[in-house]
Amino acid sequence: MERISDLRFLIGSFFTILGIILIVVAFTVVTSTAFGKELNLYSGAAMLAFGLLMLLLSTRK
Amino acid sequence: MHLSPVDYLIIALYFVFVLGIGYLIKRRVRTSTDFLISDRAVPLWITSLAFIAANLGAQEVIGMAASGAKYGIMTSHFYWIGAIPAMVFLGVFMMPFYYGSRARSVPEYLALRFDEKTRGFNAVTFAFMTIFSSGISLYALAMLLQVILGWDFNLSILLAAGIVMGYTLLGGLTSAVYNEVLQFFLIVLGIAPVVFIGLHEVGGWEGVVKNVPPVMTHSWQHMDNAADNPMGVNIWSMAMGLGFVLSFGYWCTDFLVVQRAMIARSMSAAQRTPLIAAFPKMLMPFIVILPGILIIALQNIGAGVELPIKADGTTDFNMALPTLIGHYYPTGLLGVGITALLASFMSGMAGNVTAFNTVFTFDIYQAYFNKKGSDTHYLTVGKLATVFGIVASIATAYLASTFNNIMDMLQLVFGFVNAPLFATFFLGMFWKRTTGHAAFWGLVAGTVGAALCHGLTGAEDKGAWIANLYEFQSTMAQSFMIAIVSWTSCFVTTIVISFFTAPKPETELHGLVYSLTPRPVETEKHWYKRPIPLAILILALVILLNFIFR
Repeated sequence: MERISDLRFLIGSFFTILGIILIVVAFTVVTSTAFGKELNLYSGAAMLAFGLLMLLLSTRK
Repeated sequence: MHLSPVDYLIIALYFVFVLGIGYLIKRRVRTSTDFLISDRAVPLWITSLAFIAANLGAQEVIGMAASGAKYGIMTSHFYWIGAIPAMVFLGVFMMPFYYGSRARSVPEYLALRFDEKTRGFNAVTFAFMTIFSSGISLYALAMLLQVILGWDFNLSILLAAGIVMGYTLLGGLTSAVYNEVLQFFLIVLGIAPVVFIGLHEVGGWEGVVKNVPPVMTHSWQHMDNAADNPMGVNIWSMAMGLGFVLSFGYWCTDFLVVQRAMIARSMSAAQRTPLIAAFPKMLMPFIVILPGILIIALQNIGAGVELPIKADGTTDFNMALPTLIGHYYPTGLLGVGITALLASFMSGMAGNVTAFNTVFTFDIYQAYFNKKGSDTHYLTVGKLATVFGIVASIATAYLASTFNNIMDMLQLVFGFVNAPLFATFFLGMFWKRTTGHAAFWGLVAGTVGAALCHGLTGAEDKGAWIANLYEFQSTMAQSFMIAIVSWTSCFVTTIVISFFTAPKPETELHGLVYSLTPRPVETEKHWYKRPIPLAILILALVILLNFIFR
């Protein structure tokens, strides 16, 4: 319970999920905007990396 | 702008997390101290990010992009001149008094240093100001959702206010602060892609310089004369009005931001909170102002993105950021962008409401209505104050519709309330002769001075409700002058009355006045953990930024 309420864990979980959603959308949804796929992919990758970093930090005291 | 199910899923995910944070924090909240001041147990990295996130409301995210489109890189003065030096001053000089006095709020410090009437004056004006700011956030949010998504205005207000009320009531200040940090990262990561794609489209900063008027890419070169720049202010007005009075008045005395430093775990952490916060703060113009400049450049190269025109024929600068997001963001990232905007409004609103409930409970209710209640009683009052603050914000939201530019309106409010306050604190902390009567009448004189200045001068058809003795180039220039007049009125009145009234005995001023307080003993070995080296580095970096964009 302690770790779940650690802010780093919460932020990490949020951005990991968000990153995964954007990466999945980049490969599955056809977008009408210019650079749509790239924007979703790169933004998703950045959010996933940030989320995983926060999750890693949450394992430290 | 049309949202797909994926975008709604992302918005729903955000709502689940912010409410979930409140739910998880709830078990830690047992006393009024836990609920209202987080029991002074929040880690430094969280207080630092919350320090700037509490200020990252609608006026910053939407208002600064609007100002970027209207005024260009000159808007960065609100950061590099109008925030960083004051944050450094707060960390190095003022936090030892706030934190060391064990005051639970800024008005309570005034009670310790001066007297109850000075505290009461500050508490009541601050309470009004927080509700006012919170209402602006709410109004702007509802307008935005109505314009870009077609959502019902009233429903948007109730939804946003309901969620803020939910997580604030559940977890109190800690929940609000935790959410502010989440919101900070969401705002930065949600808006950054628009900056990258905008710069890519226009050809980098060189492309921006080529495609906007020169006055929009220089922060200092067109400020010799107010008529030479779109802000309508000159160097003196900028330096004194924004750089000194408004900036120090807000960042050093506004409980909304100071509260985030006061809940740190130690004096050292409290001092470093605004200093650590200064690093991301000085980079925020690239996230919140640059999109406004980019949209002008993109318009000029015919990239197919245009700022909308309002019914009265004027350009709607407040739509700069939403327009870019709507134009470039695909399904998925659009949901993130809209969520980032929602986060900014909710962050601003929650920050104001949590500051309001603390001041109302400790500085109004406990100080004047019930001094001897139980802790459970004050916890209940704190929760009721939270509900009242949000309901009052909803009512206030409708007042915001009478002003065109959110920033101009806020500058006016700060001029009335914050500008005189810094004179009071400055004299109170650094001149032991300052008396309680002088502080109180100084604040009254400052507020009256601000009102008279607003009533006797005009700008853009605003003010001059007594007579129009002078017409300013812009409402911003008028706001800066109001702040200068207000600060000077308070400063002079406080000094004069101090000479004719009896000061507190020195024995009562230990820990409250600079000359009677031992300097904090520096025990940190690493330079980056000490306030002075950090402050020097910050000031060097901010001078460098001003030089680069001069």
